[in-house]
Amino acid sequence: MKRISRIISILAILALAVMLPLGAVQADGHCEFADYTITLGGLAPMSAPGAVAGGVAMDWAFKQAAADINADCGISIDGVNYMVEVITGDSEGSPERGQAVAERLILEDEVDGMVGVYHSAVGLATMGVMEENAIPTIFSEPWNDNVSANGIIEFEGAAPRFADGIDHIFRISPASSMVGSVVTDWLISLGAEDVILIVENTDYGQPAAADEQARLEAAGVTVSQIDIELGTEDFVPILSRIQARAEPPDAIRIVVTGETSFNLTQQMAELGIAPTPETICVTNQIAFQHVQYWQTVPDGNYCAFNRVGIIPSLFNDTAIELNAKYEAEFGDIVPSFGMASYDAVFMMRDAMERAGSYSDPTSIVAAIEASDITLSQGRYYFTYGAHNESMPSDDGLPDFMWHQWPDPIVTVMQYFEQGQSSLDAAVVYPEVYQTHGTGYVVPGTSP
Amino acid sequence: MVIQDTLFVLWLMVAGPLWATVGLFLLPGVNSGRKEKDQIPAATLKIAGLIGGFALGPLGVGLLYFEPALIRRTTLTLGVIVTVFATSQVLARVVDPNLPTALWLLLAGPLWAVLAAYFIPRHYRELEADDHNVLTAAALGGFAIGPLIFGLMWKTTPKVNRDWMIVLGSLGAWQIYALFAIQNVDNPCVAAPYNLTYLTQQTANGVVIGCIYSLMAVGLTLIYSVQGIVSFAHGQLYMVGGYFSFYFLLHAGNILSDLTGAEVSVNPIWGIPVAAFIVFVMGALFERVFLKPMHEGLIERVSEYAILITFGFGFFLEYTTLAIAGPFPQKTDRFIEIRRFTLNRTQITDDFSFGPIHIIGDRAFAMVVGIVLIFALLYFLQRSWTGRALRATSQDRQAAAVTGINPTNMNTLSFAMGSMLAAMSGAALIPIFNWVPWVGAEMVGRSYVIVVLGGLGSVPGALAGGIIVGIVEALGAGCHPDPSRGAAYKEAFALVIFALVLLLKPTGLFGREQH
Repeated sequence: MKRISRIISILAILALAVMLPLGAVQADGHCEFADYTITLGGLAPMSAPGAVAGGVAMDWAFKQAAADINADCGISIDGVNYMVEVITGDSEGSPERGQAVAERLILEDEVDGMVGVYHSAVGLATMGVMEENAIPTIFSEPWNDNVSANGIIEFEGAAPRFADGIDHIFRISPASSMVGSVVTDWLISLGAEDVILIVENTDYGQPAAADEQARLEAAGVTVSQIDIELGTEDFVPILSRIQARAEPPDAIRIVVTGETSFNLTQQMAELGIAPTPETICVTNQIAFQHVQYWQTVPDGNYCAFNRVGIIPSLFNDTAIELNAKYEAEFGDIVPSFGMASYDAVFMMRDAMERAGSYSDPTSIVAAIEASDITLSQGRYYFTYGAHNESMPSDDGLPDFMWHQWPDPIVTVMQYFEQGQSSLDAAVVYPEVYQTHGTGYVVPGTSP
Repeated sequence: MVIQDTLFVLWLMVAGPLWATVGLFLLPGVNSGRKEKDQIPAATLKIAGLIGGFALGPLGVGLLYFEPALIRRTTLTLGVIVTVFATSQVLARVVDPNLPTALWLLLAGPLWAVLAAYFIPRHYRELEADDHNVLTAAALGGFAIGPLIFGLMWKTTPKVNRDWMIVLGSLGAWQIYALFAIQNVDNPCVAAPYNLTYLTQQTANGVVIGCIYSLMAVGLTLIYSVQGIVSFAHGQLYMVGGYFSFYFLLHAGNILSDLTGAEVSVNPIWGIPVAAFIVFVMGALFERVFLKPMHEGLIERVSEYAILITFGFGFFLEYTTLAIAGPFPQKTDRFIEIRRFTLNRTQITDDFSFGPIHIIGDRAFAMVVGIVLIFALLYFLQRSWTGRALRATSQDRQAAAVTGINPTNMNTLSFAMGSMLAAMSGAALIPIFNWVPWVGAEMVGRSYVIVVLGGLGSVPGALAGGIIVGIVEALGAGCHPDPSRGAAYKEAFALVIFALVLLLKPTGLFGREQH
């Protein structure tokens, strides 16, 4: 018996020894790769309490980008092709965990750059780690304004990241204020006078709601805010409070991410609070994932949602191809954070190639600042950085425009048919992107 | 104006002149059948009935009627309460809304609760009187009637029964509501025209979700009562129950659709027995393989082992499900097509209306499922031989073995049934909540609170505990002066009640005292 198992072991080792070079030959099929593999760290929430569905989409996008880059002969620096690998670290949506994982990726895995991050709290907590270790970083989803603004402003007693002359952090997702302004402008344009904000108690939700509240109140709108904890399942007692009001609100805006927003939206619809002809429902961007949305919010017809990222009618070839791959894997439309995560890896490749280095953070940062590349979400560039003597405030812009991609498309979309694909949903705002000629589809009607 | 409306309506319903009149005419009946020397003066009875009914409504009249020995002290106490309350009302309007609270804190409230809870039970023990429930009664009494509780309990050290707790607890709760009403005039739980409709709506919300909570907690308490261990895999068993139901309904729907050529969806009610069966078998296997050695003396540190092994089982289930089902939320179709039941608005008087009250259809259905299953379990435990054997094992394993019951089989059965109840709870809730592999975490935390609150090992306790937690959460979230905080602290409200019960009655509401 022992002899047989020894023979099997030897055969297995021999088979492995034969197959390994074969693999290398396959990889060398049409490209010559150097021995060194460029590694990027990808931070994403892969387990609870983080938004795991978001993390899985981001992880998929990292891996897909790496596969597509390697199929295109990897990262070419001074005529040498390097394979790229993205190592995903699970932030669990927690700042402490995110910090620990970022340190592990930098110090143990020795990554050459960082991409990703979903939760703002994780983004804010890990920025310092990347900065201390001089790791070029492109965030693809955190929205808190300070993620980019901290490059040039003091935040919670910490010096601006740019204080020593170089800032390694970039962002290609929108800042909360960019998203909030679109939704609030839309609500104001519809004449809403009484708005309820239901807000998650996080580093994303609170500042985003504060910003939206300020904008609405500046326009004379009465705003009430209700905070909730992420992961809450039963919202009925809270919603009953809204239901008990003498007059229904004009709009309920849900500033809650992930699957928690689905539970909330469905219960709101079940109780008949919104969407109704009297009350507009504005839910989270995750509603764009129509398969998930209709499965979990079957009563959510006529709910509007903010869409971050390019709208389906404007998808370019890269976006169409990426969406097809995502749909084949998950059966749904690729979310904006999937597209942004995919693009972030490609941007890192582009910057390293132009910098002529994968290990010199200063030149890579300079190259990212000078980016001008069109990927799945459109043309990426950064107006404010060390390459521009002007600061955002010099041009009358907010501080978060520092190292911030200025053009993420933010729209308000609205379903108007039960089970409708998000590709067919109406883009209702801004007017320039309207697809169905209306700024709002009143429940019970068709555009 | 708003406070006056609210309190007036409330008072008219639960106490006030109507009940004072009832007390006035009913109380003299106490003397009938009594020997002449034991008779209480009719005037005393009439005054007692008047004050008792006026202050506490049916509670006051009932207490005085059935416990005439308390008449003098209770009448005095109630008289003082009515005076204090009336004074506080006047002061609140004339002087300062904070004054009644300050007055209450001085004359009753937490300070007197602590003092009474400390001194009275000691006094009972010194006199070697029966001190059963005295701690709870003293604390509640101090809270509700301040120093008067000393007058009531110190000299004669009366035997305390459950009625004491009900009366004193209700009195304390009513005082808190009154003070809350004075301080928060615009709160929907207080302000007209919402008050009663809104309170009823929130209470209904709490009862509905509470019954659903109970079903899961019952499984946990069953396992504890027989095995003496807490299953840390309970939340994950609840989660897999939902997933088994989901996949069964999905595949059954596909098969039926293929057979009939039309799209068929299977009602989620059928997922409940399927999930129950699979998880019952799963629980039995787990118990036989991993927990049985514990009861056979093969494990040295039994308590730690039980925690670790069930914890590990929970992790295994969660991450295996994540690997198989993925992280995306799932949900089944509805149980019933009625989105919500609505009790329409009813105009009671020109100035007062009640309703509408809304209950989400699927929740109502899940509540019925929960109640039916809990009563079926109670029937099984009380009436069947196996159920009695389970109870016998939970009371005394060795004595049960002597009578021919196999405790090893009872262990397996209890764990399997407990797991099954968690799974049925999951299968009943998957049409209501989004289902993800970590969905059990929040629910199981609440289940631990419920079983300890109701009394570890008590099935009726788990039912009561679930409903109490449901109501407290709903009222807490719905009535907190700051809506924002109310929503965020929803789970904390139940923990406050939990802490209070542990403090006053460590065995829980229905728990057995260990001797």
